[in-house]
Amino acid sequence: MKKSTFSLFALILFLFPVFMLVLQSVSETWRFQSGEGIQFQLDSFDVLLSDPNLWEATGWSFLIGTVVLLINLVIGLGTGKALTLYSFRGKSLVEAILLAPILIPVLAIAMGLHLFMIRVGLADTWLGVVLIHLVPTVPYSIKIFHNAYRQLGVSMMEQPLTLGSSPLYQLFTIELPLMKPAIRSVTFLTIVISLSQYAITAIIGGGNVITLPMIFFPFLDTANAAIMAAFSIWFSFLPFGMYVLVEGALLLLPYSKKPWRISQ
Amino acid sequence: MKWSSNKSWLLFLPAVLFLILPLYGLAAAISQSFQQQGEWTLSAYQQLFQSDRFLSAVGFSLEVAFLSSLLSLLIGLLFTRSFYPYLASHTPRLIVWMPMLFPHFVWGYMVILLLSETGVLAQVFTLLGGDDFPTLTQDSRGIGIILTYVWKEVPFVILMLLPVYATIKPEYYDLVKTLGGGAWSQFKQVEWPHLLPVMIETFLIVFAFTISAYEVPALLGTTFPEMLSVLSYNWFYGSSWDDRSLAFAAMVLLSLFILILTFIGYIYMNKKRFRMMKGKS
Repeated sequence: MKKSTFSLFALILFLFPVFMLVLQSVSETWRFQSGEGIQFQLDSFDVLLSDPNLWEATGWSFLIGTVVLLINLVIGLGTGKALTLYSFRGKSLVEAILLAPILIPVLAIAMGLHLFMIRVGLADTWLGVVLIHLVPTVPYSIKIFHNAYRQLGVSMMEQPLTLGSSPLYQLFTIELPLMKPAIRSVTFLTIVISLSQYAITAIIGGGNVITLPMIFFPFLDTANAAIMAAFSIWFSFLPFGMYVLVEGALLLLPYSKKPWRISQ
Repeated sequence: MKWSSNKSWLLFLPAVLFLILPLYGLAAAISQSFQQQGEWTLSAYQQLFQSDRFLSAVGFSLEVAFLSSLLSLLIGLLFTRSFYPYLASHTPRLIVWMPMLFPHFVWGYMVILLLSETGVLAQVFTLLGGDDFPTLTQDSRGIGIILTYVWKEVPFVILMLLPVYATIKPEYYDLVKTLGGGAWSQFKQVEWPHLLPVMIETFLIVFAFTISAYEVPALLGTTFPEMLSVLSYNWFYGSSWDDRSLAFAAMVLLSLFILILTFIGYIYMNKKRFRMMKGKS
């Protein structure tokens, strides 16, 4: 099919809705039916950003998202590498079991873990929320890193071993620099999934851990369309912020192109 | 490298520790579904099967999740198949994956903004002289929920299917063409065998998610019929302590259903793979 058809579909289906959200966030609540046009304003962002709850929730969401991402990287990298290096009986079963947590309803898991969390003192704490956010994210990270390691190839990991490199040195000089796309995917996926959790955050956080979704839902009843749209846009800032941080961390890896170094 | 020769199987340790979470959670949910006031009983399950509220939620959830998953897969497949050459470059891919940048409930709000009775479409509809704009969100048939899910999951389906299309060798198409096959046999003979395992996996992921997620139906659904997730969440926070075991029982039954579905898919795929291997030798 033609490229123009593709552009049309892609723009209408995927770009247009985001554009409408942005437009509504910077204009008065629309009343097209009475023939009114679009009146631009920025009050919605003022109202949103002057809410202290918003900043607190953003901070908690960011902290929880960051820790969830770090744990995801550790589990994802280790498991992805192990699954690539070793072949053993029942490997496909192991892969299936590692994927299973995204198939079991996370609501069931959160409800089941609730009593346990109370017993060990993790209920109503941000660490408890981090733990429950691992359930819907880790299987994806394992899958992404498994694919990345497979593309890297076993020989790429045997070479440093024969040359006497330690596993950590190998990780930082060979594996991570070659797996940047996978790290980026995991970053986006993890933070967005973590930001998407209302029910399980409410159950484990018990209303004490206030993340962004926890105030998005009550906002719906009180705020007008312009403020809600601004809030919606606000949600996409966090993945971008995280992306910038991760990109900065990736620059510290050896063999990365440093923008501040003039290439010769 | 032999698997026991070094300490490297320690690499699996974080994953094993992680698996304790969902496994323990599910086990605890099962055990609590059999308890009421500290005693072991089946009464939660008996109550469930006598509850019209539960049974209608089951029907509604199955319908909504099945339609959402099927439509997402079909549209995603059509889109990927028609446009995958364009998706090789960066910018088009970024545009297609735009919805994945937002949480599901934010996308749900976007659907409300555009399609509710006071939304953009309805406003334009009224402006053009129409009346009686159909109820597309917070409706009793789950249209709003399905719309949100399909809109949000199609990019995910594309993400899953794109690598499949990227790895199909063009020579296969030539082979089918040389043997006189048309577009349908190209799809059936070349693409389908590659697609099937990924399609089954994607369907299971999308179905398991849409049938059990709380956020979107809480935002775009009504009080009757409700999705199982919303019903269980309300029972969990309900006034009566007994309702909690109902919430557990409902979630356990749902988990069991999804696991059986997964098991069937897994067996089916392994059979196919086995047959393919046998054919090769």
